[in-house]
Amino acid sequence: MDHLTTETFDENAKAALADSQLRGALRNATSLFGQRRLAAARSLPNWEDLRSHARAIKDEVLLHLDTYLEAFVSKAQQRGAQIHWARDAAEANAIICRLTLERGARTIVKSKSMTTEETHLNAALEKAGMQVVETDLGEYIIQLAEETPSHIIVPAIHKTKKQIAELFTLELGIPPTDDVAQLTSTARATLRDRFAAADVGISGVNFGIAETGTILILENEGNIRLTTSLPRVHIAVMGIEKILPTFDDIDVFLKLLPRSGTGQRLTTYQSLITGTKRRPEDEGPDELHIVLLDNGRSRMLAHPVTRQSLACIRCGACLNACPVYQQIGGHAYGSVYPGPIGAVITPQLMGLEKTAQLPYASSLCGACREVCPVKIDIPRLLLHLRSEITEKRSAVDGKLIKKRKGERLAFKLWARTMASPWLYEMSGKLGRIAQRFVVRQGKIGKLGRLASALPPLGAWTEARDLRPLEQQSFREQWRKNLGSSGK
Amino acid sequence: MTNSDKTSSARDTILGSIRSHLTSSLPHDEREIASHHAREALKSDFVAPAANGGSLVDLFKESLEAVDGHCVVVRGEAGVVQALTDIIARLQGTRLKARSIALSDNPSVEQLVRQVPLEVDELGIAPSSSEVFRFDVGITSAQAAIAETGTLVLDATRERHRLVSLVPPVHIAIVAAEKIHETLGQALAELHNESAEVSPTITFVTGPSRTADIELTLAIGVHGPQELYVIVDEEPPTEAGDIATG
Repeated sequence: MDHLTTETFDENAKAALADSQLRGALRNATSLFGQRRLAAARSLPNWEDLRSHARAIKDEVLLHLDTYLEAFVSKAQQRGAQIHWARDAAEANAIICRLTLERGARTIVKSKSMTTEETHLNAALEKAGMQVVETDLGEYIIQLAEETPSHIIVPAIHKTKKQIAELFTLELGIPPTDDVAQLTSTARATLRDRFAAADVGISGVNFGIAETGTILILENEGNIRLTTSLPRVHIAVMGIEKILPTFDDIDVFLKLLPRSGTGQRLTTYQSLITGTKRRPEDEGPDELHIVLLDNGRSRMLAHPVTRQSLACIRCGACLNACPVYQQIGGHAYGSVYPGPIGAVITPQLMGLEKTAQLPYASSLCGACREVCPVKIDIPRLLLHLRSEITEKRSAVDGKLIKKRKGERLAFKLWARTMASPWLYEMSGKLGRIAQRFVVRQGKIGKLGRLASALPPLGAWTEARDLRPLEQQSFREQWRKNLGSSGK
Repeated sequence: MTNSDKTSSARDTILGSIRSHLTSSLPHDEREIASHHAREALKSDFVAPAANGGSLVDLFKESLEAVDGHCVVVRGEAGVVQALTDIIARLQGTRLKARSIALSDNPSVEQLVRQVPLEVDELGIAPSSSEVFRFDVGITSAQAAIAETGTLVLDATRERHRLVSLVPPVHIAIVAAEKIHETLGQALAELHNESAEVSPTITFVTGPSRTADIELTLAIGVHGPQELYVIVDEEPPTEAGDIATG
């Protein structure tokens, strides 16, 4: 399958809109998760307080990130973990390849990690000669199909069970079936052998606790427990923003993350791993390596608006709530992080040049802000990035500056009109006369050649119809009938 | 050593970048942060409202059953043995077989299982990672539980149960009623206090393993156990048979 890119967002989105199977799957998933999230949030009397509290904790961490990171590192090292710092994706991958090669590893089991998707770790490991197996069921399906995740929480949300069954028949040689339990147990059986044989387990991290050096990982399937318990070496890859100050803070985030992600009170398993085992004969890996990844994150600290992006706990609630994501799914965004949070994180991680379409992939309706468990003001971030894009473009393109002058004039006129009752009424009257030329069958549709002459109207009607102005304005109706007969 | 040089320079670059970007944010911060609530002001107690009049054991049972776990409440050693017997006898009639049983290294678990009057092919105590795959059932105790979520707390320094509770298709856990906390916050507070450092591996378990990765259809038992039984013992533990600290 061809992997889509951020630069072709508009085309990707158009293609997704034409895919009725995809849209059906998205409709089911996003509405189900949306309802569950709402029910789970309502089951707590203090949901709003929890959100504010969580955000305050994240703000505290981010404002002193250097201090908290150093505390986390020194605590984790005291407990036997080995820390590796990676400035970017290439450095993180090089560190992990070196660790696996030095230990003579052949087979690597991985549990779902958005951070390693971001660094494209699998490709790097395979190039180094490793066999890498994704063990989360959704990620495993995606890996077999050679695709990329389309949702943060449910990576294979875009695939039907029929497609998955065909894939399993082709790749694993099972007889055709459409029974989900059968497919699941096939994956379980196949992956058991991989777990038993693996030399290294690689996981992500949901939270790192500065006070104790603990890493906390959440899941439902049990593959993270297997990945972090069976192989001799455990490598955990963690963005530098994942820190929480104290062990007690876990409480707040365990209340918010599962409820926001899947609507569960708690996911099935939480693994709290603090350094290495105490005695060599204890169960579990001999070595714990924690790779701390920057990859553009520290840059986001430079302004309070962009800094909020680092409060994200990757729950996926904003994806499910977003009217754009609901229609086009994750692949159209062309990057690892889709949906509203992806539209703000991706441009900051990858730079605005290749991602300039993403901050416009939103109607700014604010649904994402409403559901965000850490109250990230995503619409404000989108506007912030849009203005950065415009600044940049006007700086290189003289024409744009002229266009902006025109725009300014138009808005000035509009403001003047709206402030004067007389001008407002006159503009309505003029509009009703002018619209006669463009109204067809009771609506204003595509403008054709006129489109370029009336830029905002042309752009609007390119994709949707506009209702024409009524023949009589409300004011006129009031004066004629209602004003005299009423009371 | 080149590796450590590299690491330390990456460390310095990242910490330096964090500091310089935070500094350049300062002029904008004053406006923004004043509008935020102070963190301390928000520190309040987040305990959910108490169970609707019922006991912690009732609440635990209700929460666990809501996530497809089974819960049996018994009193005393004889009750635990009877519950184990019932569960294993029923499993032996299914395709889950329950013919080979793995135990944690908690001696009181073994002492209880030895009293079960059923025939099994194999009883393994704390099997290694290469052996554990062949067992049908794993039996362990749990160091604590959480009523509001139906959660077991497994502390790997107190008992060798990391793999036995995870790899076999069935997990049976025994927990003393007095070890049930009402809330997650209370359980966390006990796991981390001034007197002891946090244990290297703590696992919270809430119900059997599950996934909804295929068409959002719930499937139970993907990588972890597909059946979870919790036997809650309401008997106050004696010194010899203290199941929770074993």
